[in-house]
Amino acid sequence: MPVEDMHAGIHELDIGGRKVLATRNMMPGMSVYGERLIVEDDVEYRQWDPGRSKLGAMVLKNFDIPIEPDSAVLYLGAASGTTVSHVSDMLTDGLVYAVEFSPRTMRDLIQLCDQRPNIIPILADANKPHSYAHIVEKVDVIYQDVAQPNQAEIAALNSKYFLADHGHLMLSIKSRSIDTVASPKKIFKEEVRKLENGFDIELEVLERKELDPFHEDHLGVLARLFVEDEQ
Amino acid sequence: MMKQEFTVWFGKLRLDEEGGIMNCSLFDKDPEMLSKVVTSLQENVQSVPLKRPDLREAAIECGFVELEEDYDILLREVCIKAAKSQISRTDTDDARIIQAVEALDDIDKNVNELSERLFEWYGRYFPELDMTGEELARFVASYGSRANVPAEHKLFEKASSSMGSELSFADEELLRAIANNICSLYDTRRYIENYINTSMESVAPNLCNIAGAPLGARLMSMAGSLQKLAAFPSSTVQVIGASRALFKHLRSRAPSPKHGIIFNHPVIRNAPWWQRGKLARALAAKISLAARTDFYSGEIDRSIAEALERKLENIRQANAVAPKKEPHPKPHSREKGSKRKQGARNRKKGGKS
Repeated sequence: MPVEDMHAGIHELDIGGRKVLATRNMMPGMSVYGERLIVEDDVEYRQWDPGRSKLGAMVLKNFDIPIEPDSAVLYLGAASGTTVSHVSDMLTDGLVYAVEFSPRTMRDLIQLCDQRPNIIPILADANKPHSYAHIVEKVDVIYQDVAQPNQAEIAALNSKYFLADHGHLMLSIKSRSIDTVASPKKIFKEEVRKLENGFDIELEVLERKELDPFHEDHLGVLARLFVEDEQ
Repeated sequence: MMKQEFTVWFGKLRLDEEGGIMNCSLFDKDPEMLSKVVTSLQENVQSVPLKRPDLREAAIECGFVELEEDYDILLREVCIKAAKSQISRTDTDDARIIQAVEALDDIDKNVNELSERLFEWYGRYFPELDMTGEELARFVASYGSRANVPAEHKLFEKASSSMGSELSFADEELLRAIANNICSLYDTRRYIENYINTSMESVAPNLCNIAGAPLGARLMSMAGSLQKLAAFPSSTVQVIGASRALFKHLRSRAPSPKHGIIFNHPVIRNAPWWQRGKLARALAAKISLAARTDFYSGEIDRSIAEALERKLENIRQANAVAPKKEPHPKPHSREKGSKRKQGARNRKKGGKS
């Protein structure tokens, strides 16, 4: 069986003995950023390069990906939409809110939004959830890839505003964008501590793994919003 | 009882303190209008109650849409419209000038490479020709082979007695084509320079007045925009373009750079070395003042230039004589590192050959 399902919407194809990560193409025939299209049993897949996508790397690192076909996802740091397009593929019945700060990269992202029905583009600063609270509903998953020095704070702030009860937060922490010289291990420890206790929101870190060899000095984190069971 | 207003993309909600909807006044389902609501709320940020209803549920509860699909479709259309209009608004006048400055740099780089190639290639056929750059390109473009130099031309003598080899027709055509390209790049370069000069006068008249159009445009390009340049402290303006020296200074005990790109201003370039740091500081102060005036008021303020002139004159008079105690009167320490490096490289090359 050459196609192996790794998670809803994420597949691993076997191409001549080489394993390739892919998502099922929502818009058959269209390649978003020059990635390879592979047809198998009349189904078209888009190859997903984990070296270009931290989420892709997290899949291969066996994270328990919380994105389901009907999830609402808030994607912070959408950039030109390379990874967003794969998230969009996964969400056959869901919606992704793609927040990006730079107008230049938003230009590319909009082209993607024009093609796909389930991406909502938002040109805004992820530091200021106030500025898009009138657009974004409560979401099941927040995925964050912003490479900012205060990214733990950004994640916590957005979780506070937008994460539904028991919703999941996924983020990739780039140690070099926090401190270029300090040891990555130390930074990761500190950032995870901040996420768990640093802000007035209770996040429970479920998984943490470094994303090498796909991304140097990056840590993938999966956390969940902790809600006390109301009786 | 505390009531809160919360405006969302589809209407105005009034909430009770638990975040429940007390009433809502819905907007029209007009994507154009809704996209304006979305953008204006993004720019004039409202306070957002932490306890608030889920937008999708609220939209259905208030009867804005009946089905979830309708919510998705309309929201998507509105947000794409909003993002598009925000993007088109980022194409400001200063963004255009910055593109022009960068195009100028690209042309310079390419024209230098091509000119050098033409010099080497054409040199095989007419090594006595003592020309480079634009002059050479114009010569090759108009004559081609040296056999075509007319008798009344001042280079006729040299051309007819040259030690260079004969130029075949195919090579001549090719060299002429390259030379024509170089000439047209030089023409484009002048065109861009004019464009920068005229648009700087209208976009940033004060900056243009104090720094000059090319330098002002370059400062804007290095800062990223007129807004960013206006937000910089003048000490930063003073050393924009000297980042290597600045970080060397911050890291080690290297001397601080006195001037970055503003060295190109005649006031500093033509000054004796011991005045340059002081003049650069005064000039940078007035440049950032000018950038701020341009960005925030847009009106021409002649007093900046007058104040600058007085300040510069004071500095010149107070420091008329060169100080003696400098052990190494190097004009600017910024070049120290790179000079030494270049020297080392050259020596190495020389040793090999």
